[in-house]
Amino acid sequence: MQHNVVFHLLALMALSSTVSAADDWGDDSWGDEPESSIELHGFIEAGMGGRIQTDPQLEDDDLTLAELRGRLESERYVGDIRLSAKLDLYADGVDDALQVNLREALADISLGQNADLRIGQQVLTWGTGDLLFLNDLFAKDWQSFFSGRDDEYLKAPSASLKLSYYGERANLDVVWTPVFTHDRFIEGERFSYFSPLVGQQVAAPQYKLEPESPDENLKNGEFAARFYGSYDLWSGHNTEWAIYAYKGFWKQPNALNRYGRAYFSPMRSLGASLRTNIADGIGYTELAWYEGEDDSGSDPFLPNDQLRFLLGYEQEVAPKLTLGLQYYREQLMDYSELAANDGDSPFRPDETRELWTVRMTYSLLQDNLVLSWFSFYSPTDQDYYHRPSMKYRFDDEWSLTVGGNIFGGEQVHTFFGQFEEASNLYARLRWSY
Amino acid sequence: MHKIKRLGCWIYTGLLFLTVISAQAEEMMDANEIVAKANLTAYYAGEDGRTEARMLIKDAQGREQKRQFTILRKDREEGGEQDFLVVFSRPADVRNTVFLVAKKPGSDDDRWLYLPGLDLVKRISAGDKRTSFVGAHYFYEDVSGRGVEEDTHQLLDSDGQYYVVENTPLDPSSVEFSRYNAWINKVTFLPEKIEYYDEGGEVYRRVEVLASTKIQGYTTVTKSRVSDLRSGGETLLEFRHQAYDLGMEQSLFTERSLRKPPREWLRRAK
Repeated sequence: MQHNVVFHLLALMALSSTVSAADDWGDDSWGDEPESSIELHGFIEAGMGGRIQTDPQLEDDDLTLAELRGRLESERYVGDIRLSAKLDLYADGVDDALQVNLREALADISLGQNADLRIGQQVLTWGTGDLLFLNDLFAKDWQSFFSGRDDEYLKAPSASLKLSYYGERANLDVVWTPVFTHDRFIEGERFSYFSPLVGQQVAAPQYKLEPESPDENLKNGEFAARFYGSYDLWSGHNTEWAIYAYKGFWKQPNALNRYGRAYFSPMRSLGASLRTNIADGIGYTELAWYEGEDDSGSDPFLPNDQLRFLLGYEQEVAPKLTLGLQYYREQLMDYSELAANDGDSPFRPDETRELWTVRMTYSLLQDNLVLSWFSFYSPTDQDYYHRPSMKYRFDDEWSLTVGGNIFGGEQVHTFFGQFEEASNLYARLRWSY
Repeated sequence: MHKIKRLGCWIYTGLLFLTVISAQAEEMMDANEIVAKANLTAYYAGEDGRTEARMLIKDAQGREQKRQFTILRKDREEGGEQDFLVVFSRPADVRNTVFLVAKKPGSDDDRWLYLPGLDLVKRISAGDKRTSFVGAHYFYEDVSGRGVEEDTHQLLDSDGQYYVVENTPLDPSSVEFSRYNAWINKVTFLPEKIEYYDEGGEVYRRVEVLASTKIQGYTTVTKSRVSDLRSGGETLLEFRHQAYDLGMEQSLFTERSLRKPPREWLRRAK
């Protein structure tokens, strides 16, 4: 099996280089090739990253990113149906394995003038937050995000069916994911995590988080819906509004069954967002109500209901320099019930978790150099997560990204504080074709 | 006799004056009108239009980058608001990235960017329109047009083939130039050359039309160049497969087209 994957990876690289050679933009190349021909695109990327300190739980694992990745993308039309596929093959030196990641394999089908159907493996995103998600309950890949892979990998794909209807004043998206697709959460292999049960930082192999997933039957499918539109609220400024709903499971295994095993407990959510031009920038706000199974909030092994709120603003403050600021608040419901029933746990989360984020993005050298800094800071948890990065585009094919994921906090059990030992620096060199 | 001669002289002068007036009436005297007409010619041909475009970006060291994209445009009102959809096809790292712009002269544009890798529709702040468009020496404003009401216009010269109009910004702090001169073709009203002056009165940036043609009766640029005279860099821009008055619907310029580029408008007419 492994040899097979290596063979495909090599074949992919060989194929890529021939495609590139044929893709020279001569004076007459306007993409005049007939539509039936298949175009291949993608990239090959080498990535390396390591901890800036030793994690006592993962003493022999200094590397947080070590991979050679090949991406193959293609799209074509069969009649009016668009087919698109994106496949990643990568040799992962941290997992010591060859991995296949099908990012996309979908068909876009038009159902008349006002409706579209997208079916298959796909990445899905909606909502207004910048790296904060309230009503977007599609799968995320936190391992990729923390280890410095490209931003696109933060969103994990799911095998879903998305039906979109476009009306005069409002539109509707309904997404059905028949098999529950959870986040790629921190499970203790690449990064260790804090276990409230053990009362300390833990890691694989002993504490590899292997939660129980819901049975794969139609009853356990996920439904997500967005009803949205826009209108000119004042002085001709287009204001976008949306109402969201979700029925499925928590995307992180934050419930414990009676044997002490983690699992994904059922949850529903309802929310709304607004986004518009304010002053010289973009202002947005989003609200979400998460309702789980613990109606009274008294079961410490089930997540309590939550109210999530976001307020954000982004503006280009100087030419090519964008500044973004977000305030996020997560409120646990029935907190006194939780406090009365968790045996006075020292690791009980606060009733309110507040988070501020700052983004600075500066493009220079004709957009070939992009400097970016994104920080999360929680005054309630007293922890932080900084994401500095620098991307240089040598030409249309080669680019180099270097950056860091720097975590820290006052306490060992908080959201970002637990990943202090995961802090890492990385570099990625990419050749696109 | 002397009186008669003087009268004759007056009449002659008067006639000459009238002739000059009428000759100039055939041309245009009002710089505002000339600029308004040039703006319509350069950015508002037809009710809507499509074009394929590619840019060759050269820096001072001779290094080259390329961009290829299709622009769909629809006018909400002649000389006023317009919608643009820009769909990138090359290079590989920006393939299927889509820009949606609602241009609002006299106000901030509404802009969205679709990033296909994340399936993310990002609303972006209107920002400085006089900064590089996707890494080229062209500015956003060169691609979508600069509001005619943002400058005062003065006709410098109308002797030859061109109206030469000097344009001075009403709000100098909002732009990097102190003024710019436009050479507007007297017959087609296409601005064929624009030179931008810095504070010291030096030309530091030039936009030139290298070739144009008539398509469906509309004067259409097929090749142009912008030169950054300070750095020595330049960008060549070529347009092909243009068509106008295609009957695009307003609904084409919505989030639907960002997430699913409209193939019926992107592919060329057979």
